[in-house]
Amino acid sequence: MTTKLTHGAVEALVKGSHVENPVLQLLNIRQINTTGVPRYRLIMSDGQHYLSSFLMATQLNHLAEENLLVPHCVCLLKRTTSNTLSDGRHVVVIVDMEVLKSAEEAGEKIGNPKSYSTDGQLSSPNKVSSTTSEPSSTSAAEGPGPSNNSKGWGTGFTGKAPVKTSPMKTFPMKGSPMKTSPMKASPMMTCPMKGSQMKGSSMMTCPMKGSPMKGSSMMTSPMKGSQMKGSPMMTSPMKGSPMKGSPMMTSPMKGSPMKASTSSPGSVPKVMPIATLNPYISKWTIRARVTNKSNIRNWSNSRGEGKLFSFEVVDESGEIRITAFNNEVDKFFTLLEQGKVYYISKATLKVANKQYTTLKNDYEMTLQAHSSIVPCTDSPEVPVMQCDFVPIGELENRDKDSIVDLIGVCNSAEDVSRITTKTSREVSKRAISLIDTTGKVVTVTLWGEEAEKFDDSGQPVVAIKGARLSDFRGISLSALFSSTIMVNPDLPEAFRLRAWYDREGYAVDSQSLTETMSVSVGSKMNWRTLSDVKNENMGHGEKADYFSCVATIVYMRKENCLYQACPSSDCNKKVIDQQNGFYRCEKCNREFPNFKYRLLLSANLADFGDNQWVTCFQETAEVLLGRKAEELGQLRETDEAEFDEVFQKANFSTHIFKNRVKLETYNDESRVKVTVMEVLPVDHRVYSRRLLSNIQKLAH
Amino acid sequence: MAGILDVPKPRINCSMLSQFISRAICFVGRVEKVHPTGKMFTVMDGEGKTATVELNEPLEEELSGIVEVIGMVSNKGEIMASTYNLLREDKGIPFDLELYNEALKVIHDFPQHYPFQVAASG
Repeated sequence: MTTKLTHGAVEALVKGSHVENPVLQLLNIRQINTTGVPRYRLIMSDGQHYLSSFLMATQLNHLAEENLLVPHCVCLLKRTTSNTLSDGRHVVVIVDMEVLKSAEEAGEKIGNPKSYSTDGQLSSPNKVSSTTSEPSSTSAAEGPGPSNNSKGWGTGFTGKAPVKTSPMKTFPMKGSPMKTSPMKASPMMTCPMKGSQMKGSSMMTCPMKGSPMKGSSMMTSPMKGSQMKGSPMMTSPMKGSPMKGSPMMTSPMKGSPMKASTSSPGSVPKVMPIATLNPYISKWTIRARVTNKSNIRNWSNSRGEGKLFSFEVVDESGEIRITAFNNEVDKFFTLLEQGKVYYISKATLKVANKQYTTLKNDYEMTLQAHSSIVPCTDSPEVPVMQCDFVPIGELENRDKDSIVDLIGVCNSAEDVSRITTKTSREVSKRAISLIDTTGKVVTVTLWGEEAEKFDDSGQPVVAIKGARLSDFRGISLSALFSSTIMVNPDLPEAFRLRAWYDREGYAVDSQSLTETMSVSVGSKMNWRTLSDVKNENMGHGEKADYFSCVATIVYMRKENCLYQACPSSDCNKKVIDQQNGFYRCEKCNREFPNFKYRLLLSANLADFGDNQWVTCFQETAEVLLGRKAEELGQLRETDEAEFDEVFQKANFSTHIFKNRVKLETYNDESRVKVTVMEVLPVDHRVYSRRLLSNIQKLAH
Repeated sequence: MAGILDVPKPRINCSMLSQFISRAICFVGRVEKVHPTGKMFTVMDGEGKTATVELNEPLEEELSGIVEVIGMVSNKGEIMASTYNLLREDKGIPFDLELYNEALKVIHDFPQHYPFQVAASG
């Protein structure tokens, strides 16, 4: 049953005459974003004419938002007013309206309405839907694209408007010689076209900020050589046509204008989930939040040099890493801010190089010259971070070197220290300890800038994404270059932890998984007695064995404990006394007028079962004797009695020794050599508990 | 007094007092209350139980903290002290009474491994 539309109503309304309850068919609806409340613009048809200059009063916005206004639905306009704009155009504001028939009921476009242009200029919103258009994600479907005879779509268009529209009704673009004449789009109708040369804009455009549209959205057909000002959206090859002001209506203007701030009305791009990205999709856009942005790094290798920065983004479906090189660094680095959400499209995808990233995505993205990134202002659903936190108590079950996310309260932190790495680089380091609701504590090491700027005041909640689990000293974590550290993050887990800690956590007598000397996960803390060394043939394997024991010093060779060493800071080789006041170092191949004293102490340790000769180098010997090598050297020369006294005092003292055992062969003779790596005082309570627990175990 | 010093004195806590009646023992505990006369005071062991200690002469000094008492257990389960020894709290590591109690239990559970009886005499 065809509904009867009120013929002539469009003309009448535009001219300002009163029409009693006209029945019109909605051909298309677009949202225009003025600052604040969205407004909807409608193309209404009375079967004879159609007009795009219908605006809906904001109190009717709910009709659009509830998806009641689907193209081809039939509406009854109960109240309208007419306005004339400064430039002479007429606009009809619909104050009250009712949907009579839904789009399904109405079926298709009724009649064959022609565009009613009021001043020959703008009227028909050229919905130039592109041939390949995918339906835009906004409420309205693609508006009818320019019909095949769309003319005057801005210059050069004539007759060339290719758009083969998708099965959408076309708009016979009549009479709107879209001249290249500066079409000043009225502000009402268009989206903020600030300063863009939005010529011949179709009102429904999205903010075209005059940026060279890089073939903005997915829908674009190859716009070759056109100076696309304003997104070309769906036009088909506009070769050479200065497409000024393209028919935005349907375009997912994705971020084409690089800085289109307000998302264009109706050009809310069709966003796809990050998880579905792959290199074989030709056109896509994602909307995601930047979770981690690196600094710009320069490189220089045999193939040349350049700079890059990378960042990671997350959306509801997943995360992906994006890198920009050289020119793109300049273009995008300042635009992107960590924590903000952007529409990103037209970057290239390739298989991820897992060496540089720990993200869970098979692919990664590289920005190109034509890539587009547009800030997105309203997207509360995009998660702040995708984290898969592991409870500290479960870390023991994870593999060494695996990458984990962790969240906990920082109950203590060491000070920043500087260390020199093997490559002679100086780097800052800081160990912080985190506790969570499992009551377990673990130490996390931060490096570089993160270490320096970490603020541990107030026991903050710290979340770390992408830290590496290591078996260094039991269980510990190390932040990587790619890790993200968040202090007091805006995550529900963070709030839960904060509440738990303030209530009970602070008092929990926690068990640290990163113990310095307790039974930890199969690392150097291997408690043994001295008799075990022989009984277990320690050190006989290929690699050295390490063990810890509680033992008492029963004898020290004080006669040869000191030697004269090369004074250079990195060299400890014994120097030869030239007897002329000079000392020669063979390693440095130099002579020095001085030397430094170094300790090399041979001692005999004993426990209840056995005794063992061990060697203590400078550091450990100094701990045992309680004196520095230099001091002892002086003492030996000056005050023998006191020198002896030092050894007397140390004799029969009991310590914890951490040792390295290895079978060594020297001139056909093999001997098990034990070297002391570290000397620690005995904590009797800990020791007693350990003994008690061993007894319990033996008793069962 | 001389006699008691030559004899092995097993370390015990309150629960073991009844088994050591008329025997010389060594008791370590925390001083609780001192009787006004100064001839008696109570001590608490690592399990939280209390025992009474009686002295030959009244105390000449303030007694507080952990004390080690050597004496005989009376029929009534009180410790008739021969001598006592205060463990200084200001020096060294604080004495862990609970841990001491654990050790006591082990010693008594495995007397075969702790043959203290083979002792002092000649």
